[in-house]
Order: sequence, then C-alpha cells, then structure tokens
Amino acid sequence: MDLTGLPTVTPTDREAVVRCLREASAAHTRVLVVGGATQLDRGNPAAVDLVLSTRALDRVVAYEPAEMIAVVEAGCTAAALRDLLRPHGQEWPVDADDDATVGGLIATGAAVPRQLGVGPLRDSVLELECVSGDGRAIHTGGRTVKNVSGYGLPRLLVGSLGTLAVIVQAAVKLRPLAGARRTLVAAGGLPVALGWLRSVPLATAILVHGDTAELRLEGWADDVAAQTAWARACAPDAHVGDDAPFPQAAPWSHHPVVAEMSVAPSRLGAVLATAGCDAGGLVGVGAGWAGLEGAAALDRLRRRVESLGGALPVVRGPGGLGGTLPAPAIHRRIKAAFDPAGILAPGRFWGGL
Amino acid sequence: MAADPLTLGLYARDASIIEGGCALVVLPSSADEVQACVQVAAREGLAIVPRGSGTGLAGGAVPLGDALVIVTSRMTRVLDVRPEDRLAWVEPGVLNQDLADAVRPHGFTFAPDPSSQQASTVGGNVATNAGGPHCLLHGVTSGHVLALDLVLADGARVRLGSEGPLAPGYDLRGVVVGSEGTLGIVTAVCVRLTPLAPVVSTCLLAFPDPLAAARCVAACIAQGLVAAAMECMDQASVRAVEQYVHAGYPEDAGAVLLVELEGLAAGVAHAVAELGTIAGAHGATSMRVAADEEERGQLWKGRKHALGAVALYAPHYYLHDCVVPRTRLPELLADVYRIAAEHRLLVVNMFHAGDGNLHPLFVFDRGEEGVLERVLTASQEILERCVAAGGVVSGEHGIGLEKRDFLPLLFSAADLGAQACVRQAFDPDGRMNPHKVLPAGARCGDFAMARGDGDLAAAVRSLPAGTWI
Repeated sequence: MDLTGLPTVTPTDREAVVRCLREASAAHTRVLVVGGATQLDRGNPAAVDLVLSTRALDRVVAYEPAEMIAVVEAGCTAAALRDLLRPHGQEWPVDADDDATVGGLIATGAAVPRQLGVGPLRDSVLELECVSGDGRAIHTGGRTVKNVSGYGLPRLLVGSLGTLAVIVQAAVKLRPLAGARRTLVAAGGLPVALGWLRSVPLATAILVHGDTAELRLEGWADDVAAQTAWARACAPDAHVGDDAPFPQAAPWSHHPVVAEMSVAPSRLGAVLATAGCDAGGLVGVGAGWAGLEGAAALDRLRRRVESLGGALPVVRGPGGLGGTLPAPAIHRRIKAAFDPAGILAPGRFWGGL
Repeated sequence: MAADPLTLGLYARDASIIEGGCALVVLPSSADEVQACVQVAAREGLAIVPRGSGTGLAGGAVPLGDALVIVTSRMTRVLDVRPEDRLAWVEPGVLNQDLADAVRPHGFTFAPDPSSQQASTVGGNVATNAGGPHCLLHGVTSGHVLALDLVLADGARVRLGSEGPLAPGYDLRGVVVGSEGTLGIVTAVCVRLTPLAPVVSTCLLAFPDPLAAARCVAACIAQGLVAAAMECMDQASVRAVEQYVHAGYPEDAGAVLLVELEGLAAGVAHAVAELGTIAGAHGATSMRVAADEEERGQLWKGRKHALGAVALYAPHYYLHDCVVPRTRLPELLADVYRIAAEHRLLVVNMFHAGDGNLHPLFVFDRGEEGVLERVLTASQEILERCVAAGGVVSGEHGIGLEKRDFLPLLFSAADLGAQACVRQAFDPDGRMNPHKVLPAGARCGDFAMARGDGDLAAAVRSLPAGTWI
C-alpha cells in the first residue's frame, strides 16, 4: 500500500488517539493505523485519508522480570523490546523485523517461525488497551497469565488488522531465553523434515523449502547435543550452526508477491509439492510462505490451498486476503459496534470489512 | 427430554452454591438434534442454558426461570484422531480424561487438566477456558482449541477457526472459548494435541508454612525455572488428603509444593537441581523426587482428590478462584489467612501457585447461623485484595452468576459495553444463557454506567428471582 502524500498524525498518548478517532469518525475521515509499516500490504486494498502512526507511543509501561510479563505501548519496536528483555534472559518469542512494532505484530497476527516450540502469537497476548473507531478507550484482558474474567477480547483484536480499534498498549507473556540455540541445515527436503518431526522430540521449529530442511533447536546445551545426534540419524550431513539465525534462508522473500499459507499440517507437503514456486513451510504447524510472480500464479496457488481447507493471504505485493468469511453477520455486527462510522481501513479486512 | 420434578431439580444447579430452576431438560445425542432443540427454543422464545457435566463452580450452568437446558453429556464420540495433524475432533460431551486417554496411545495428550478432569467435559472446558495444574507450561484451553462447530441462538450452524494456524476473519474461535455458553452451543471441538514429554520428574517439597512455599514459587519464576506444574497445598489440605487417599505427603509440614518438570533428560536434571537450590534457600525442609511412575501417580492422586478430601472438616464448601501477579502471591496468601481469621472461618488453600492462581476454600456447615454471610463477605474482601494487587477475579472457573457483579472492579462501563456488543453480535435476542457473565447493567452502547463497587452479598441478593443460594 502506498502512503505517499497522505497526512500523518503521530499521537503521543492514548488521549490523543481518542481525540483523533472521535474527530475522524465525526468527519468520516478514513484512517489507516500504521506501526513499523512492515505489513502494509497485508489485507485487501483500502483507500484512506489519514495515517495514524503509533511510533510515538513507544514507552515501556511496566516490566518486572520476575513476572515474565512486559507491558509496552503499541509503538515499541521489536528491536527495542528485544533489547529490554535480553539482559534479563527473557524474550517475547515473536520473530519479527527490528522495525516492526508490538502493536503492529499483534494487529497482523503474523505467523511465528518458531511456533512449533513457542506457540502462536495469539497465546502470548494477555491484555490490550485500545481505542475503538469512534474514540472509546477500551481495556481488555488482564496482567496475569491466567484470566477468564469476562470475554476474551484480546483474542478478538489479534489479527484484526486495525479494522476494529487502535491498539495503544499491550501486556505480553514472555519466556526465558534458551541457553543454547542451534540451526541445522540439510538436503533432503520434506522426507528429512518429517523424519525430524518424528525422531527429534521438542524441536523448536522445522522448516522445509525446496530440497532443503532446517531444524531449530533451543534449550540446555546437553539436550541440544542429544537432539542433534537424533537429527543426524535422519540427515548425517546436516550442517550445524550454533547461535545461527532461523530460518537460514527465505527464498520466497525474493519475489514480487509473498503470500502466507495456512493448511492442516499434514497437507503442507501436498501444497509445497505442487506449488510451482519458491515456497517453504513449517512442518508440524502448517504455516508457510510462497514467493510468486503475479496474479495468475497467486490465483492458482490460492485455489489449491483453499481446496485443501486452508487460506493464502498476501503479505507483500498486490492480491489481498482471499478466503471466505465464516458467520459474516456476526463479523458485520462486531465491526459496526467497534467502528460505527466505518473509518478504520474500510475494506482491508477479510470479507471487505 | 425430561420435565419431571426430580430431573428438573437435578439440572437446576451445578457445582456452585447457587440453585436455579428450569422448564425443560433435553439430552441430544448429535449436532442435528442440538440444532433442532435450538430451533424450537428460537420459535418459542425460550432461553437456552448449555450444560456439560455441571462441574462448574461459578453458576454458569445454573438455569433461571423458564430456560431450556441442553445437556451435551450424551455427545461423547471421539470423532477423529489425527496424529499427523496433531489434532483431534471430539463431541462436546467427551470427558477431559477420556480425551487424554484416547490420544495417549498416539504419543499425545490434551494439555488442559482441570482437577475435575474425570468428570468435566471438553465442551465445558471450552466454555470456561479451563486451566489445571499443567497449564503453567502448556497454557489454558484457548491455546488448545483450533476450531469449533457452533449452533447459534437462531439455530444456524457455523464452523469457527481452522485446522491450520490461520483462519479468515476475526478470531471468533478465541472469543467463544471462555464465553460460558453465552454465544452458542458447541457441537464439535477440534483440539490441538500436545506431544507427551520424553522425561517427566515429579518432586514433593515440604515447607514450614504456605508463605515460604509461595516465596519459593515466586523465586523459581524470577530465576527462569519454568516448571510444567507448581501446586501448593497447606497443612489442612495435606492432612485431609492423607486420611482420604494416603498420597504420602508429610503431615507435619506447614505446606507442600508439588512440582513437575518435563522436557529432555539434561534440562530436567538441571531443573531438579536448581529447584533444590532455590527451595533450600527458601526454607524447604525436605524434597522428594518420585522414583517411578507409580509414586508419581500417587503424588498427583493426592492433589487431584484434595477438594473432595476436605469434606472431612465440614459438609459444605465455597471454593474461590482468583489470580494475582506471581510476585504478590506471598502477600495475598497472608491476606487470605488474615481475612478468614477475622471472619472466624476455616480456610484451606490448595492452588496453582506457579500461575498465581489462588483457590481459597472455605469449609463450613450451612446449619450454622450466619455462616454463609460471613463466607461471602470474606470472599469479597479477598477479591478486592486481589484486584488491588493487580490481579483478576477469575483464573479458570469463570464468572457465571457468582462474579458477574464484580466485573466492574476490573472494567469500566465502556469496557463492559464492548463485551456486551460482542455478545449481542452472536445472540441479538439475548437468549443464550441469559443473566450470566456480564453485570445486569452492561449493555451494548451503554456507556453511562459508572465504575461500580462490587458487593458479593448484595450481588447474591440481586440474583434473578427464582435463584437460591
């Protein structure tokens, strides 16, 4: 999405967000919420009049390492949060670009490469402070690791792409940083990856792309050594990289259109085998990415993925979200309740919401 | 279908102390039958109360007035176990323990393990976003439900969520989990399966008093020792358990801490050693590591039967559920004992210490004049202390009827209005489990309600007509 020439407001506190959205709703000014601008293409095309940047909402509100919870404003970047947590041996296990913001990551609900071991992003969001489209400050969830006090509205807001409310602050659940981190890379593709899934217990992630398989191991050094030995039984020539990044390669990212795929885990192989493009997927999870040249290739792969019960939203380039919205009437009522004037990125969400 | 007085009486209550009344009870055996029942209720304008095994402790399944109670306990089929997808589809009436047993031969488990797991249903676990000891490591039910089939109040059927990691639309699956049957009736659940841990070590530690145990727990979390479960039981719990199931707990200890560590061999061995060091520094008087599966089972049997065991002390109980930030656990525990003493009540504590999830259990005889009033007043004081310490009013039991008038302690009128809007989006006529979860005043679009102060005795007095406590 091209934001050139659009006016931008950069509120510095929640009250300013409230005022901005009240005025925008009254004047029917269409607003796009932007954090680090790393996921602007995710969503259907949406014409807007104003950009609301969360970048000046970047304070650390509360961080007590002993609670393993961090409370930060939405514009806090992934890099800033990493730097805050690392000295205390903790992490928010959402692998993201340095510039991506916490609010933006939550709003997009992006796939987490290490999901097999660390769980999806949505399970780490405990509390959200947000402002609805018509400028109501709303508190959801709570700062405890367990909570059934009322409806789980934080879960509603994860992945809502800024179409219900502007997230201004989040409390996220953390985990200890592993002592040893290692990425194994081997030839052999899917058979090797599936072999690892069966024979390497507690693998943190297994990625397959083309003829390459990558295995991520995190934990105590002795356990990682044992896991490496089990992994080598499937792939004797695997290359071991200590403290190496994961993934080592992302061939899909070199194409003009990048789509994120989601299928039942066992169907990943069928999709990758017939994708006909640079694609990769997380074994045991069912998430993946495909690099495509244009609309025709996207349509073909999207039909294939959707026929297997999956979804293939574009995350970079043109192509939108695709897919079919379940319970459209419920979706419309929720959208109307949170954003009655329909000013928050109208049309960006699934189903044209 | 049943409408005889005995059956109606049975289904007029759950495991809480609240009693209601209903007009009709149906026990459908398929999604089609559930849908047919809901369609009849929609035509007749009847309120619907979904119910599993009725083990809920907050009155979420207590029917009021002319409600139709739809019981899922005959929908007990495990529809599909797919280890290659790490998921299983089950009907809502499948018992939690039966699901775990069904997937164990495949090398998996269903991680939520509420203490009621031998009796509670998966559908009920979804309704309350159930926890249990092992959600310290594995997370609560919402992290273990991939998709749901739901019959809405108007009789329409919808599938929410996906077998893959991403589903089109807002995460309505995530909203239905924990919604206590107020958004629809779940007719099938797609659960995520968790691989069984290769190595499990169960440790029993003894402490001079519960506060020392709580301080040890806080220190473990602070030092990054992530256990699979950390359960605390005070001396009164331990003595009751020992008389009942002989779990082998030390009766002379002021409190015991049951800690389970799981993972791979080296990490577990390291964690056991670290636990010993931290516990020693916090006054632990002994630490025993279960030598085999039998001893492990025995240690857990004690914890799982602790609630039943306290019947030793008195015939009635009121079990509380609240959560505080984990560093505040010792101070809140001290408050619980102080508040109980001030109201001349016997309180027993057995709780999910690692999550900061307290379960003060008042044990009493309802025949004693005024005792219930004292229990409710003390409970309210505990809730207020938890909220003041940054906690919440329920960790895993839910809000139901019991705590709905306490939500204003946590949420403003606008916050509750947003919740009411979501509820109304699913059920515009308000016929799904009415009166539950949200306070009577919370309405979609109603932002005038002031932030109120909860009063449990008043809340109980304000329960809808026909309810008894």
